[in-house]
Amino acid sequence: MPAIIEVDHVTKAFQLGQLTSLTQSMRNGLNRVLGRPSAERAPFRALNDVCFSVQQGEVVGIIGHNGAGKSTLLKLLARISEPTTGQVRVRGRVAPLIEVGAGLVAEMTGRENIFLNAAILGMKRSEIQRKFDDIVGFAELEEFIDTPVKRYSSGMQVRLGFAIATAVESEVLIVDEVLAVGDLSFQQKCIERMEGLIRGSGRTVLIVGHNIRQIERLCSRVLLLDHGRLVDDGAPKDVCGKFFRDTQTRNLARHLSPTDGVIAPERDAGVVELLAVELVDDAGVPVAAVGLHESVTLRLRFRCKEPLRRLELIVGFHTPDFVHVLTVSSAVSGDQPDLPVGVHEATCRFQDIPLRPFSYGVRIQFVDHFNATLWYAENVIPTVVTPGRFDITKFPPTGLVDMPARWAFRPLEQAARPEQADLLAG
Amino acid sequence: MAGSVEGLFAYRELILILAWKNVVVRYKQAYLGLLWTIAKPLMLMLIFSLMRTFIGFDSGGVPYPVLAYCALMPWMFFQESASEGVISVVGNAHLVRKVYFPREVFPLTAVATKVVEFAINFAILLGLMVYFGIVPGLQMLWVPLILLYTVLAALTLALAGAAVNVYYRDIGQMLPVLLSLLMYLSPVIYPLHLVQEKLLERNIAGDWSKWLYVAYTANPLAGIIDAFQRVMLKGLAPDLSAMLPGLLLVAIGLPLSYIVFKRAESHFADVI
Repeated sequence: MPAIIEVDHVTKAFQLGQLTSLTQSMRNGLNRVLGRPSAERAPFRALNDVCFSVQQGEVVGIIGHNGAGKSTLLKLLARISEPTTGQVRVRGRVAPLIEVGAGLVAEMTGRENIFLNAAILGMKRSEIQRKFDDIVGFAELEEFIDTPVKRYSSGMQVRLGFAIATAVESEVLIVDEVLAVGDLSFQQKCIERMEGLIRGSGRTVLIVGHNIRQIERLCSRVLLLDHGRLVDDGAPKDVCGKFFRDTQTRNLARHLSPTDGVIAPERDAGVVELLAVELVDDAGVPVAAVGLHESVTLRLRFRCKEPLRRLELIVGFHTPDFVHVLTVSSAVSGDQPDLPVGVHEATCRFQDIPLRPFSYGVRIQFVDHFNATLWYAENVIPTVVTPGRFDITKFPPTGLVDMPARWAFRPLEQAARPEQADLLAG
Repeated sequence: MAGSVEGLFAYRELILILAWKNVVVRYKQAYLGLLWTIAKPLMLMLIFSLMRTFIGFDSGGVPYPVLAYCALMPWMFFQESASEGVISVVGNAHLVRKVYFPREVFPLTAVATKVVEFAINFAILLGLMVYFGIVPGLQMLWVPLILLYTVLAALTLALAGAAVNVYYRDIGQMLPVLLSLLMYLSPVIYPLHLVQEKLLERNIAGDWSKWLYVAYTANPLAGIIDAFQRVMLKGLAPDLSAMLPGLLLVAIGLPLSYIVFKRAESHFADVI
């Protein structure tokens, strides 16, 4: 059977910078005609000689760092843009789920928007009518369907966009990020619907995302792009593992370069200034990595510009996709000192790091006695949890934290057939 | 290219629904709603009628207000289709970046929207004709063909214009200005028979008169407006000799314009 998607030596080049002025491009055109050198910039290759093919029914994830060319590739597959050289062949209808609600019109009612947007996504009128109730039901908008969309809450708009986009039937489904939208219960529904679409239908699916865990779980195959080149193509476990390692080395490199140590808080009331943050081992030596179930100390140096009463310090670790896996507060143990103006040091010793081997960021929050946040930042410093004394290949594929677990097995029922019992006894 | 046109037929539902959206959005929160469509030609008709009382020219035995209205309808249809067609791709940038369908859907939608407005104005025209006691004849059956020709003339400008406008927004700014000048070079305020009288009968430009007339009628709107007035008000068939130069221009220009559009199309999402 021929491949449903074929990407054959595809390169996509862009001219960097502003579009040239009319006079400049006319001059360039003239120079080209006259055979003189023209003042054109070197192109930037968003994709560089990419080749792969996808069979019917495969669920393929595309991962890579920002600017690796993932979205460019999706745009080529969705025919939104065309390659500079090479060929993209897609057999069958493509439904792009690139941005939900791209075409919602505020002045029109929910009902009108369903017909409009479904038509934009390529559905026939009869198909829309057949699916209308399903779309409205999924978006939970039965009561508001004849209200203009501009009166909807943003959550309602996003729900409507998602419900329409996922109703499209196609041979190939293209998904770019942002799968979970709306409040928590609706997010759960979105993820279920996405996974139902991906797994249930036998459709070919391409997913781009930063949520590596989700990609690893959903996909049957993963492509890794790096600076426009396809650097890996294989089983999700292997490719995602390689990507993790890349991310770790990059984070470590960043940690070691002193110029990159600027801390940009998300919240800063101007009362506290963070001077230095580091992870140190028990001997006080700075480290960038810590082994699973080993101890490490977070040391902060900060300046109080005003006297602080009952300061609460909250620190924690988050994954690269900002899942706050672990957070501790000094208030739990009652360590809430009054601090005078000046420079102070605080240390927090983590007795037994329970985090799965991966790269993490450290987040830090200063809270005053009114429970107001004085200072807050995520990704303050990167850190890596290494397998330490454990064998990483023994860990099950999912899970965020690890804890010592004691196992026991004992028989409750003897085997019915005696020969089997003999066998076991022998 | 025939393949592209055929493929486009599959997108007729989308064009219709997008045109319906344009109409709905334009009039939804306006108290007078669709009445605004007829306000503009009616007001221009009144101004022209007032102006004519000062200048005074022969309207060829037809009450001038209805003659002017009959000229304004195809003219405004052409002018607005072309100018909105030219900005249509850039105006839908959010869709160009997110979804694929043939991009000529946008200019075609702009034109289809104007067909709706043309239909409304047509009802007003019939009302005016009743008021002035003009009985429409069977020649009215030419109207769909004349309208189709006007659509093609507007697309000749709109397709290439829309493509270039993606790269240089100057086009979208420039075209309305140029078109408002073109109105004076089209028989909108004055009827075509005055031009014919000056150039063909009295040869006011000497030997050049004949060629000037050809140049004048190379503007497709000259033939279109005259034809529309003839079939609606005078019960005469369209004057093909007045339409021929314009028809030739559209027959050559439209395929070229479409080729320009299709060649630029694949880069829209990258540039817009």
